[in-house]
Amino acid sequence: MEDYPEELRTPPVSLVSLVGCPELHHAISAFLHSEQPPINTLALPDFSKISVLARKQKDPLASTPPPAGILKRDWLLKHRTKIPAVAAALFSSEQVAGDPAQWLQLCTDLENLKAVLRGRSTKLVVVLVQTSVNDEVSEDLMIALRKRAEIDSKHLIVFVQNDASELRISLNRLASIFAELCNTYYREEGRKIKARIEKKSFTSSELNVRYCFEAAVYAEFRRDWAEALRFYEDGYRALREMIGTSTRLPPIQRLVEIKAVAEQLHFKISTLLLHGGKVVEAITWFNKHIAGYERLVGAPEIAFLHWEWFSRQFLVFAELLETSSAAIPSTLSPRFGTSENPLTDWEFQPAYYYQLAANYLREKRYCLECCASMPEYSELSTKVGDVPESVMPSAYVGQYARLFEQGDTITVLLLSDSEYVSYAHMEAQRFQDTYEIIALFRKAYESFSGLKAPRIASYCGNRMAREYFIAKEFGNAKQLFDGVACLYRQEGWVTLLWESLGYLRECSQRLGSAKDFVEYSLEMAALPIFSDIGVENSENKRVYGPAGPATLSMRQTVQEEVFNLLKGEHVPVTTDGSCILHVTEDEPICLDIDLVSPLRVAFLASVAFHDQSVKPGSPTMITVSLLSQLPCPIEVDQLEIQFNQSTCNFIIVNAQKYPSTEKFTEDDQRSLVETAPSLTLSTNKWLRLTYEVKSGQSGKLECLSVSAKIGHSFMISCRAESPASMEDLPLWKFEEWVESFPTKDPGLAFYGQKVIQVEEPEPQVDLILGTSGPALVGEDFIVPVTVESKGHAVHSGELKINLVDARGGGMLMSPRDAESFSSDRKHVELLGISGIPEEDESQTDLDNVRKIQHSFGVVSIPILGVGESWSSKLEIKWHRPKSVMLYVSLGYCTNSTEAASQRFNVHRSLQIEGKIPIIISHRFMMPFRQEPLLLSKVRALPGYEHRVSLAVNAISILIVSARNCSEVPLRLLSMSIEMDDDDDSQNSCSVQHIGGFTDNAVLLVSGEEFKGVFSVTPHVDTLNLDVGTVCINWTRDSKLGSEQQDSIVVTKQRLPDVKSEKPPIVVNLECPAHAILGVPFSFYVRVRNLTSLLQEIKYSLGDSQSFVFCGPHNDAAFILPKAEHLISYKLVALGSGPQQLPRITVTSVRYSAALNTTAAAATVFVYPSEPKFNMEESKQETVSSQ
Amino acid sequence: MASTACFIIVSRNDIPIYEAEVGSAPKEEAAHQHQFILHAALDIVQDLAWTTSAMFLKAVERFNDLVVSVYVTAGHTRLMLLHDSRNEDGIKSFFQEVHELYIKILLNPLYLSGSRITSSHFDTKVRALARKYL
Repeated sequence: MEDYPEELRTPPVSLVSLVGCPELHHAISAFLHSEQPPINTLALPDFSKISVLARKQKDPLASTPPPAGILKRDWLLKHRTKIPAVAAALFSSEQVAGDPAQWLQLCTDLENLKAVLRGRSTKLVVVLVQTSVNDEVSEDLMIALRKRAEIDSKHLIVFVQNDASELRISLNRLASIFAELCNTYYREEGRKIKARIEKKSFTSSELNVRYCFEAAVYAEFRRDWAEALRFYEDGYRALREMIGTSTRLPPIQRLVEIKAVAEQLHFKISTLLLHGGKVVEAITWFNKHIAGYERLVGAPEIAFLHWEWFSRQFLVFAELLETSSAAIPSTLSPRFGTSENPLTDWEFQPAYYYQLAANYLREKRYCLECCASMPEYSELSTKVGDVPESVMPSAYVGQYARLFEQGDTITVLLLSDSEYVSYAHMEAQRFQDTYEIIALFRKAYESFSGLKAPRIASYCGNRMAREYFIAKEFGNAKQLFDGVACLYRQEGWVTLLWESLGYLRECSQRLGSAKDFVEYSLEMAALPIFSDIGVENSENKRVYGPAGPATLSMRQTVQEEVFNLLKGEHVPVTTDGSCILHVTEDEPICLDIDLVSPLRVAFLASVAFHDQSVKPGSPTMITVSLLSQLPCPIEVDQLEIQFNQSTCNFIIVNAQKYPSTEKFTEDDQRSLVETAPSLTLSTNKWLRLTYEVKSGQSGKLECLSVSAKIGHSFMISCRAESPASMEDLPLWKFEEWVESFPTKDPGLAFYGQKVIQVEEPEPQVDLILGTSGPALVGEDFIVPVTVESKGHAVHSGELKINLVDARGGGMLMSPRDAESFSSDRKHVELLGISGIPEEDESQTDLDNVRKIQHSFGVVSIPILGVGESWSSKLEIKWHRPKSVMLYVSLGYCTNSTEAASQRFNVHRSLQIEGKIPIIISHRFMMPFRQEPLLLSKVRALPGYEHRVSLAVNAISILIVSARNCSEVPLRLLSMSIEMDDDDDSQNSCSVQHIGGFTDNAVLLVSGEEFKGVFSVTPHVDTLNLDVGTVCINWTRDSKLGSEQQDSIVVTKQRLPDVKSEKPPIVVNLECPAHAILGVPFSFYVRVRNLTSLLQEIKYSLGDSQSFVFCGPHNDAAFILPKAEHLISYKLVALGSGPQQLPRITVTSVRYSAALNTTAAAATVFVYPSEPKFNMEESKQETVSSQ
Repeated sequence: MASTACFIIVSRNDIPIYEAEVGSAPKEEAAHQHQFILHAALDIVQDLAWTTSAMFLKAVERFNDLVVSVYVTAGHTRLMLLHDSRNEDGIKSFFQEVHELYIKILLNPLYLSGSRITSSHFDTKVRALARKYL
């Protein structure tokens, strides 16, 4: 597009001419230029210069010759820069109002100007320049001036110069008059031309096209885009019709001219359409244009001109699309290729046209090359040899002429076709099409990459690379081909990959990179291509590229070539012989094939150990399997298997080539050498080799790589892969071929690993953890640990002890918590490790590590000889019941030089349950048959509902029971209730031990319960009465009588607080301990009023089957303050055995509380007759206690 | 019959699984030149396939006078034809019948979906269909 002249590329701008008053020209032209639409000015400083406006003198009588061409080259430029639509004569007011001489001069100037403009329809405007508003010229003079100039009154403009606001007004006035007149002028001009077209008053079709073009340009001047477009299209159509009919020029040049004009017209049409936002129309028009001219190739010797022109159409359209702001209309249906939208998505992208432009430019180059090689043409060029020297573009668009110099006269002569052809050839040779093509493809490539269309981008990349290849820039070509090949490889387009690799191979050969050459060749040879059709001939060279057709035989050829090169037998020679690859023994080629390398298809190594783990030093089997997809068998000389433990490395040599391994062992003393009967890799057939490997150190033994040495200067190092995790070969995955396993054993083929675990050596030291059943919470639990050497001496031994929650959850407490919490919060604690002699501990020996934390400990062990033993005890304390895993591990060396010897490890673990030894429970009781009225029982206080209430200053009974809930028998040494130390609690309540305990320790077997009885007497009335803490001293019952004495453990449990309150009323039931059938006895109910109020009580006695009684059934009584009331009944028992007394109910009216005696309190035993007791005392004692 | 036509089946992994030159014209351009165009057209098919429920996408791209027509099966296997004829109905019928053939191939329990179609019967049938419709 840049090649087009400026006037064609930009829309035309109206032109006005200013004459006179040069000092104002700058201001006026700047203002007019900034107007919308802008107006260009042709400024002439004075009237002597007006001749430039003059018309070329034509003899009006001479008959118009037939047109020599379609469009004049300079016509457009002329109308944009030379022929003004309006001529403005500027006169200052002094000139008008001055002396007569000045007036006369003015008149002359005006006349001259009018004369110059005669014959044109250029409008004349007279501008009267005043310095200020006051500087007015008289009306008469104005009229005189107007008459002189023969103009309308409105075309005489007064221009005020010195006042800023007036200047602005004047400029505006000027601009509007100019705009109006320009419009009129161009309309008139256009109308004239249109009249000619309509009347068809032209002699030739050339003129028709020319008139259409001119009419369109005038319409453009007026900014009447629709009309302009119409005339351009008319002209284009008329031109298309001319192709067969015109005979004016020789055929070749005629076509060239028509195409050049068509190009211009098409350019204008496309520009107008695109600027009007009609993208779809523009593209449709372009397609029409292309379709109309594509076949007009013309004579074969100038076919290249056609393709160059054709390519330029695409390029220009692409540039137009790119620069046009018009977006793809959103109303467009997304369905491409339908009747309403026949365009494809890509056709809206400039990149699409760039790419096509590049393609046609290639076509041009091809035609040019064909021409050059054609014998008849080369004759032609030599014959015409004298290419006319001074050929230049003639006055018409698309025509060329020759300047013919004869003496002083220069005449312009038309060219003959043959002259033109040789001229065109000469011109064409000057251009470097390749770089043009590359630039175009690069544009398309970048654009498509940006559009996320990698495939079409890679198509462009591929073309670009080919051009670089043709231009012999192999470095660039290789880089591009590499990128392209990557995509084809990934998507499995084998034929395309073959093609790209062929170029890459050639590039690396030209660049002298033998390694790359070998890599690309091997990859090519290993591609899954099986077809064997396609004949190679020279014609196909252009089509196929250097690789030739993708066939099986070509694969074989490629492989043979590369192996010949590697053997140094035969070096492939490039066509020009410029660069020859060298492979020598000094610089061997090493290929590294990893898991993602495309060369995996050429060489794949799978390694499987037959076992999963092995003892150190013992042999294990390993299978090395090799696979190649290369079409011809490969003879491998030597295989080297490498492991991560280099002592295991070994070499496999071909037994046929090296019958004795003697030579090798001398060379490679470190490595083991194995032999194989044959090391030939056939296509798609696993070569399986099974050998024995001796495992080295403990840990992981992994096969790293398998390196195959072929010849003296070639080595393929292939990363070993496990059959279990082996990926399919990328390109061969979907091919139909026989799939076989890398190992004979199918199990191994699925699960085999290239890694084997070498076990740790067997330790010969025993670690024994003694244990004695479950641990009890609170005691120091002892776990004896014994280290016994059974064959190894223990040097720098270290014992690690770890306590872990057995139910998971890791540590018993995180290390951070350990610092912030008190020891009470730790559930299980490692207290210490005993058994280390004191003197050792006192020494500050650095080796003697002894670190103990609450769940972790490290102890160093002294040197033990064979057969010696060492023991210690772990003290562990449980604070809560918990199951704990105890891990003890012993690490040691067999001798004192630590670095050389191997470290052995022994691990032991033990689960220990921590259990609660004793469960303590308690119960409060009132004295028998005494019921204080405790008001809190009647009306519970919120928050204290569940708290036991005791009567103040009355004795309550506390029964504490301790139950052995562990499996071990325990010996209970003492049970006591300890008050807190502070005075308050001691004063508020007194607790005394009453009974249930002897001096001897009590043996509690599992599940047994022991009860202690205490009396509690609260002294104060309080809601929170501290009763104290139960302390039980116990010890394990060590029946065995071992020398170790079990320590005494104290288990404490605080009793919950109780309430104490003063009862207002206390009821005592008095009744004999037993009754005798038929013998009457007394039954009293004693109600004591402890308050200083009069208390009313009601009582009732229910009937009973077992007793008859005398006394009131229901009654009420008043009890004086601090007095008591006695209700007495006489009862006679009617039945024997334990009998329920008649039910007594005492109700306090004031507190609305009723006393219902408990069943135990209301039961009496009735003897049938007077019993005979042996122990009178004890009976009496019992009765009195009640 | 079209003078130039290159037919290719692209699996859903974008790998060509069947390719055939079915044009009647002598091979002036090798198969892979056509493959370059078809491969480049995959980009546009990829965008287009999701905008419509129709299987036959008609002409998706033009390359000079060659047109790429595409038919996308439900399994996103693409049947692509590079041709120079404008017989849209014929191309549609061709695609539909090849689709049926392809389904028969898929029904073969020994055929692994996505792998290369090597059946000579399929090849013969496709070429016969090309002669019939294109």
